[in-house]
Parts: sequence; structure tokens; C-alpha cells
Amino acid sequence: MNSHDQFRDLIEAYAIGSLDAPERAALEAHLAGGCDECAKALEEAHWLVSQLAYLAPDAEPSGMLKGRLLQTVRAETAGSANQSSVRQTTVPWWLWAGVAALLLFSVYSAWNERKLRNEIANLQQQTEAQQAERQKLEQELTAAKTQAHEAMIWSDPKSKKIMLPPKDPTMEPLEAMWHPDMGLVVRGWKVPSPGEKRVLQLWLIPKKRGGKPMPLVTFWPDASGKFSAMVENPPDAMSDTQALAITEEPIGGSSQPTSTPMWVGGVS
Amino acid sequence: MQQLLRKDVGAFEELYERHSRIVYSLVLRILRQGSTAEEVVQDVFLQLWRNSGQFDLRRPFVPWLLTMARNRALDQLRLKSERQRRREDQTEEFPQIPVAAPEYEAALDDQRRAERVRALIRSLPSAQKKAIELAYFEGLSHSEIAASLNEPLGTVKSWIRNGLLRLKEGLQATS
Repeated sequence: MNSHDQFRDLIEAYAIGSLDAPERAALEAHLAGGCDECAKALEEAHWLVSQLAYLAPDAEPSGMLKGRLLQTVRAETAGSANQSSVRQTTVPWWLWAGVAALLLFSVYSAWNERKLRNEIANLQQQTEAQQAERQKLEQELTAAKTQAHEAMIWSDPKSKKIMLPPKDPTMEPLEAMWHPDMGLVVRGWKVPSPGEKRVLQLWLIPKKRGGKPMPLVTFWPDASGKFSAMVENPPDAMSDTQALAITEEPIGGSSQPTSTPMWVGGVS
Repeated sequence: MQQLLRKDVGAFEELYERHSRIVYSLVLRILRQGSTAEEVVQDVFLQLWRNSGQFDLRRPFVPWLLTMARNRALDQLRLKSERQRRREDQTEEFPQIPVAAPEYEAALDDQRRAERVRALIRSLPSAQKKAIELAYFEGLSHSEIAASLNEPLGTVKSWIRNGLLRLKEGLQATS
């Protein structure tokens, strides 16, 4: 099965919305690449999935809903008709007097608006500060959850340890733990930083003959050369995987490796 | 649909009469609460009325309407506890859902196709049927379904794909 066939197999699940994030991102990248065959298959898959609506038990909306809807659309139709007729009418003299009064009122409104605008600006500043605080807390929470998840993978006896020796003997080996249900974690120390506008990318090498490497996460080591990368839902099972590999790729990652692997570790 | 483009209230009423029942049934199945389901159905039909000019007439209308209603209902389901995000996410833009009817679509009218769909899905093993329902009506991902049913991830992926392919073959067989 080639890479295109692998994407073709994901189309129905994509249309129903059940693909997990890594597979969804990979398929979207494939579609964005202009695969007409997959795009056509997706259109038909959307149609097929829409037919599942007929599994819903039959139910009838209340008459009030229809009443509310028709009232709204009639009001909108009448509103646009009135606007048209107003545009065609000649303006009477007394309307000009009204306009003058309106101008006076506008002066007052402008002053009032400036005052309100200042108050709104203050409120916006407060809201932005609160949002920034909330984002910071959310990031901390996500990081804590990730760390906890990684710790569970590292400590669970069902996890399999995989060593990734370096191609360059002057570099340190990396370690990976793969849990059949919780996912895969790779970590390393004293890892050299990738070049400018480059990242490190993890690949899964399938066991089947002719199977192409599957792109997983991209990552950078920190200033001390330490990193930890997690894949919650690897696209293939451990038993179907021959090896894990890490290459250096342009920022954003690649769909196929563009450089020689720096670390490779056999899985099974 | 052509008349709706000209803002014909009568055409809108006819369209509502024809399709509101299946749209409401779908949304109610997802949200399980009548009043919220009616709010979503109202949003869907009002969006249709206000933005009908953006609808691509080459696309099949009913599957597109059902897909839009499902997406709206799942958004509502996911964002029940995130009202703020709901306000940010809901746009007035018309969703461009690429739907194309396959050749076998014309073989059955809506009612007979609905019966066929129900029969085909009923014929699946109950766990496979449940996996498809969790994906379609609850909007769950493969991993979430695997956790919910306590089944291996690979099994859930196969169930959903094979179930949909069986549905496709079953509908094709009637053409």
C-alpha cells in the first residue's frame, strides 16, 4: 500500500469527524497538496455520512418554531422593503428640522461617546490582562497534564523501552517508551540544537515492505540540550512498526524525510 | 432553492415544511433536549435564509443541510460549558461543505433510502453500530470511542471505516 492509499483509507473517518489530531493533520496536508482523487472521495464521503442522519428517531419540531422563523423572515423582508421605499421618497421640510435637532443631539452624543470609549478602553485592558492570565494558567495546566501523561507511560509495566543510538558516535543515545494504549514518548539529553529554521522530527518506520516513513511530531531541545516529545496516538501499532527515527527537517516538518536519520532505534 | 435566492418567503416556508422534520430529529438526537434543539434548528434555517445567495447550486442540498445542522449541533454540544468560545466561534459565514452526490444517489427516493440506511446499520454487530453512532451523534474521535467502549484503537478504526464502506456498498447495490 503506498502513501496515497493510506490517506485514501482515512477519508470516511475524516468525513464523520472521528480522526485523531495527527491523522487529521496528515490527511489535511495531503488534501492541501491537491490530490483530486482524495478530494472527490471526500465529497462523496460527506454525502455518505450525511445519510446517517436517518438513524435519528423521528421527531417533529413544535409549531411555535415555524411561527418564530416565519415571523423573523417576514420582518426582515418587510424591513428591506421599507428601506427601499424610504430611499425613493422626497424629504419634507419638517424632516430637515428634525435633522437639525439630531445634529445637536449628535454633539452631545460625541462627547458622551468619547467618555464611554475611555471606559471601554479601560475595561478592554482589564479583560486582556485577565485573558493573558487565563492563557498562562491553561498553558501551565496543559504542560502539567502532558508531564503526568508522560510519567504514566514511563512508569507503566506495559510500556516497551526503545533505545535510539546516534549515527554520530560523539552524540548521546535517545530513549523512547511506547505504551500500546497511552502512546509514545521520546526523550534525550545533550542533544545539539538543529540548524537555523530547522527542527528535529520523529518518524515511524513501518514494518511492511515498501511502507513509507510516517511523520510524527517536530521538536527542539532546550538550551541544555534536553527534550521530551510525546505522541498520544501513533498512526500505527507497535507490532506493525520496524523502527523509530529522528531527522533534521525545515520548520513545520516534512511529509517525507529530507535528511539522513540522526538516531534510529529498532522497535520489533 | 432558486426561489429562496430571490428571498421568497413562500419558498422558504415550503423548504422548512419539507426538511425541518429530519433536521430537527438529527439535532434532537445529538443534543437530547428539545428547547436547545429548536434553537439550533432555528439558527440553521435563519442562516439558510440570510445567506442563501452563497449556496453552491451544483451541490446536493439535503446532504449539505444535514451536514451543516450536525456541525452546529455538535458545536453546541461541545461548547455547552464554554459559552465564551461559542460566541467567538459562531460566525455568520456560510459553511462551504464539499458534498457531492454519488451516481447511485438517484436510485432511491429519500424515504426508501432512509429505510435502507436504517436496515444496513441495524445489520452491523451492536458494538460496531455503537462506534458509528458515537462518532456521528456524539462527535467522538477514534481514541475517545476506544476508551468509551474499552476496545483497542485499531478495532475501532476498522469498525468505523468498514461500517461506512458496508453502508456505501449496500446503497450501491440498490442502484
